[in-house]
Amino acid sequence: MQDVHYVLHAPQGDTYADLLFTMIERLPRRPPVTYTTFQARDLGSDTAQLFIDALNDANERFKPNALLVGASCTAELIQDDPGGLALGLNLKTPVIPLELPAYQRKENWGCAETLYHLVRQIIQRAEQKKEDPLPPVNLSTSSTASTSSRPSCNILGPTALGFRHRDDVKEIKQLLNDLGIEVNVVAPMNATVKDIERLPLASFNVVLYPETARTAALWMEKHLHQPFTKTIPIGYKNTMDFIDEVLELAKLPKNEALIQQLTQSSRASWYAASVDSTYLTNKRVFIFGDASHAIAAARVASEEMGFLVVGLGTYSREFAREIREAAKLYNVTPLITDDYLEVEDQIQELHPELILGTQMERHIAKRHGIPCTVISAPMHVQDFPARYAPQMGFEGSNVLFDTWVHPLMMGLEEHLLGMFRNDFEFNDASPSHLGGSAQPKHENASALEQDQHTLDNQGSSPETQAPSHASISEDNTGEDKVKEMIQIWTLEAEKELKKIPFFVRGKAKRNTERFAKETGIQNITIETLYEAKAHFSR
Amino acid sequence: MLETTSIPVSQIKRGSRPDGEGSVQVQLDPSVKIGNAKVFAIYGKGGIGKSTTSSNLSVAFSKLGKRVLQIGCDPKHDSTFTLTKRLVPTVIDALEQVDFHSEELRLEDFVFPGYNGVMCVEAGGPPAGTGCGGYVVGQTVKLLKEHHLLEDTDVVIFDVLGDVVCGGFAAPLQHADRALIVTANDFDSIFAMNRIIQAIGAKSKNYNVRLGGVIANRSETTDQIDKFNHAVGLKTMAHFPPLDEIRKSRLTKSTLFELEATGSVKAVQDEYMRLASQLWLGSDPLPAVPMKDRDIFDLLGFD
Repeated sequence: MQDVHYVLHAPQGDTYADLLFTMIERLPRRPPVTYTTFQARDLGSDTAQLFIDALNDANERFKPNALLVGASCTAELIQDDPGGLALGLNLKTPVIPLELPAYQRKENWGCAETLYHLVRQIIQRAEQKKEDPLPPVNLSTSSTASTSSRPSCNILGPTALGFRHRDDVKEIKQLLNDLGIEVNVVAPMNATVKDIERLPLASFNVVLYPETARTAALWMEKHLHQPFTKTIPIGYKNTMDFIDEVLELAKLPKNEALIQQLTQSSRASWYAASVDSTYLTNKRVFIFGDASHAIAAARVASEEMGFLVVGLGTYSREFAREIREAAKLYNVTPLITDDYLEVEDQIQELHPELILGTQMERHIAKRHGIPCTVISAPMHVQDFPARYAPQMGFEGSNVLFDTWVHPLMMGLEEHLLGMFRNDFEFNDASPSHLGGSAQPKHENASALEQDQHTLDNQGSSPETQAPSHASISEDNTGEDKVKEMIQIWTLEAEKELKKIPFFVRGKAKRNTERFAKETGIQNITIETLYEAKAHFSR
Repeated sequence: MLETTSIPVSQIKRGSRPDGEGSVQVQLDPSVKIGNAKVFAIYGKGGIGKSTTSSNLSVAFSKLGKRVLQIGCDPKHDSTFTLTKRLVPTVIDALEQVDFHSEELRLEDFVFPGYNGVMCVEAGGPPAGTGCGGYVVGQTVKLLKEHHLLEDTDVVIFDVLGDVVCGGFAAPLQHADRALIVTANDFDSIFAMNRIIQAIGAKSKNYNVRLGGVIANRSETTDQIDKFNHAVGLKTMAHFPPLDEIRKSRLTKSTLFELEATGSVKAVQDEYMRLASQLWLGSDPLPAVPMKDRDIFDLLGFD
């Protein structure tokens, strides 16, 4: 938002939050936030007065059209009640107090609450003004928007630090415009208080990011009778569904020729018609992110790319039920957690060939040498590209294709690098683009990782004859008792396993171990490996 | 999740406690305030007709154009039965569904629209003999607040459980502006009323709650109630006769306002409307002084 100022009761160190905006998104200005920056010595004196002074100063200096007040997680503890203090000052500028329990809830929720309070209070204030007999001017301003005969909508949800929000808004604005729908206001990104006052003029809302806009949209649906969209236009099919949904809300007929024309910008058919279009089919993909991006990604992965969704999860508990519903479609167990170690454990267990996640999953993927693409916030500076790279609409589906498929194809070439690993040119290089030079440090290193590990140490193996590693395999077939059996790979068998390109090695290993268990073999030899191969290729 | 309260040693010695006689009760999270709505808590002896009275009163408020929320605080969870026409899931049921991750809940999981737009919530309760009813009520209010329902509500009615006098019994008092007591013209329910007055008196030291008045229910005459009111300084706000239609309306899963407005039914409907308007306009708090148990026997007993 532009003319809103946030006065945050916060200790000195909390001002680091500014840097997220300037360093990561590279915004041209600092966010409009004044921190009270109390220090240890202030705690002995009147921190409430400190807050009042900061508020008055900020109000005079920045002359905002609305003030937000709140306390950071540390300042919550001193219980100065910034909302009460600010309301007590009877400022002319509207004050919107925020109570966001930073210890209990996450950023997206805080963002949604803030937008809800902003929208509700600014609109109600405007309504009260209108009820006063004085200004008939409001009527004329409201008629300006409705003079055009085109139906209009608001776009809700985009924020600073959002994942590709800048480009998504551009893409969806263009799409709506092409469909003959006017965009009344985009909020909260770059909106002004005046814009928020104009929100009621639209006939419906387009909610691009439910995580930040659903609460406000629900209130607007109830009080302003504005319905809102439920489809997130990420991917080709979702975009088509989104078009149907907005046309219905805008009460516009479906013009097939126009839609045909719009889909021209999608390259989906180019890929689908390519000779090699099936070579990525059934790649195992693990998806984790905010619920909306994760659910959309799962549909794209499964229905458009032809991948196999092996895991789906979110950190947004508020949207856990949507993830649970989606997980049923792909027959996977939903993972709802904010513990990255839990995510890592599941990734290890599932052996995905591609991870679509957040910055956190990118770290995990790197550790395990698995191709990965970021699809959702939280993200890193590299996820704010200079080029136009939306996730939504038809161009968005092209971007998805490129960013998901490239790491996977590069990954396919990984075995070539592995084959030449012992050549002298490669001796001290770290050839893997997946960060393969980094040795796994996680304690519960999976068998696959250990492969990698022993591979790295090849040639200087100290234990020559001893069985090189044992793995405890669990029975996944769903029997009542989980049988645990120690299986031992002989060194030769393990060496043989190494010859198998890495991207099928995991499967070969799992199949061999399963075969060994079913036939009651404890020592896995080269023969077992080939017997298993023969068994499963029957 | 129990919150404790610290009592200065000196106070313990004197036996004076923040919640009056008896055990120390669950204290509210001070940040959980209901907001601008007018809050009424309906009390009374078990089986006296609190739920029936609450539901009909809710409808009366909604007929005045108010946005009403009725919160059933009885583990029996049938307070809003005549409004929703079914036994709706309780807040505890809903919380169990999401393994007590309350941020997963949506409003529609535990708030159900009833007759004439009355919003209905059943707080539910802990298993008999365990847990804390006060905790349940506190969680309910917190959830309603988190989902912004209270910001768009004019009247909140707590329908409180009848017999158990404990934290669960007292919790709604910490939110309410006025406590109303439903009673019949008989010794047992008046005796219970006296105890409720004691509880409200204790709570009013620390909270906003004040006595609103008495609702005489299911009684032809009110002579005993009048006698007691006179003795303690209470007022009867409304009087409902023992009408068979009222009993039957509950059996047909409907409020009184859904029945045909014939003579006696019309009279009761009008009485509810009158009560609702009177409560909405507000009443002076009644500074009632409860009687000693033995004195009630002397006043009303055995005649």
